[in-house]
Amino acid sequence: MSREEYQVPTGSGSATGGGGGGGSFNAPAARDYAGESGGTMYYMCGDCAVRVPLEKGAAIRCQKCGARVLYKERTKRMVQFEAR
Amino acid sequence: MPHKPPTKEELERRKIVGINEETITDVSSTDFPGHYPGEDHSWDIESFRRGFRIEFHQNDPFEASFSLIGVDASIANAFRRIMIADIPTLAIETVFINNNTSVIQDEVLSHRLGLIPFKGGHEGLHKFLKWWRKPTDEALVNNSYYDYNTVSLRLEVQCEHNDKAAAGETDPTKLYKHAHVYARDIEFCPVGRQDKYFSGADIIAPVNPDILIAKLRPGQEISLSMHMHKGVGSDHAKFSPVATASYRLMPVIKIERPILGRDAEKFARCFPRGVIGLEKVTKKEAAQKGSGYEGHDGELKAVVVDPMRDTVSRECLRHDEFKGKVKLGRRRDHFIYLVESTGQWESDAIFLEAVAHLKKRAADLEKQVINMVR
Repeated sequence: MSREEYQVPTGSGSATGGGGGGGSFNAPAARDYAGESGGTMYYMCGDCAVRVPLEKGAAIRCQKCGARVLYKERTKRMVQFEAR
Repeated sequence: MPHKPPTKEELERRKIVGINEETITDVSSTDFPGHYPGEDHSWDIESFRRGFRIEFHQNDPFEASFSLIGVDASIANAFRRIMIADIPTLAIETVFINNNTSVIQDEVLSHRLGLIPFKGGHEGLHKFLKWWRKPTDEALVNNSYYDYNTVSLRLEVQCEHNDKAAAGETDPTKLYKHAHVYARDIEFCPVGRQDKYFSGADIIAPVNPDILIAKLRPGQEISLSMHMHKGVGSDHAKFSPVATASYRLMPVIKIERPILGRDAEKFARCFPRGVIGLEKVTKKEAAQKGSGYEGHDGELKAVVVDPMRDTVSRECLRHDEFKGKVKLGRRRDHFIYLVESTGQWESDAIFLEAVAHLKKRAADLEKQVINMVR
């Protein structure tokens, strides 16, 4: 299988038996962030550090430089620490 | 045989800790009841007053040096420990990180922030600000912050490319904006009555604005807010008001037999500069029989000028030519303090505060003891 054909396994269905034939891609993801930010998630490109918007199901690829390594952004939540 | 009261020389000798080439002698004090038969050494406020003295050698805001003469080591050490561990100061205690994409981890960044010493208006710091106690119920924490127990700070820095940088520039501080995050970038956010106490010259700010907190590269950001609380050094070293608070005993150098000529020069070189001086032997001394100066009129002799500057390295004891000619020691009841403030208190005020603290502790203990025997 070439790199382009590779498909990300989803949590349910396809992993259990080989006979599924790829029909399980429509299974819902375990966590759905789509509702929070209009379906777009932002990632950081591993090569050029640009902010990459990704739709659900879009190719994992930086639009600017084509790199395939994208990093998750840091949480937007406040994190509390003791200064010790 | 009736007991003879000790002579002045004897009393002086009892106060000296002997320092030999490889050993020390007479380490413990002996001025307590029952040690010398027939002598009364019970503690007495009047005799303490007669023997007690304080001398200031240096008194700057960030460094003070003074001598406490005529106290026991236990008292002197109590002051030192109180200065380090029991005088309250304000320091960053909680860090709320909204974003930190720098290479320095959140935990490490928080720790670094906590260690930065801050200054501010003395009235506000020492009178207005009270203790903050963490409520036992976690849910009530957010209702425990008031203007009199919490000081709020902010740090918002974003690093960007500097378009005005010259071509071929390699210095990150010129190539980028905010490549270095310094303590001066911390911003004080007054709430409530804090404006009254901490404004103008009294604003809460880092003592040293040039403390480097983190380094950034373009695209990286630090965005956080902080809460400062009062605390004591026994809880965490960041609350200690002093960089160092230490004491040493006054060195004693006794030249017992004359050291003359080239030996005197060598002797002076065995000590830090200014401790030993060179003087000419006078005609009168040379004429005196048995003084050791006979026939040395006009030669140089070593004299002790300033023993306080001595580090007591014992170098002079290593040389055979000074054997039996010099005696080193320290005065057991002469404590030379060195107090270096981190900036929230004046250095001498830290000591005064330590005295007040010990007094209060003693009064508290007295109350407890009275309750105990009742």
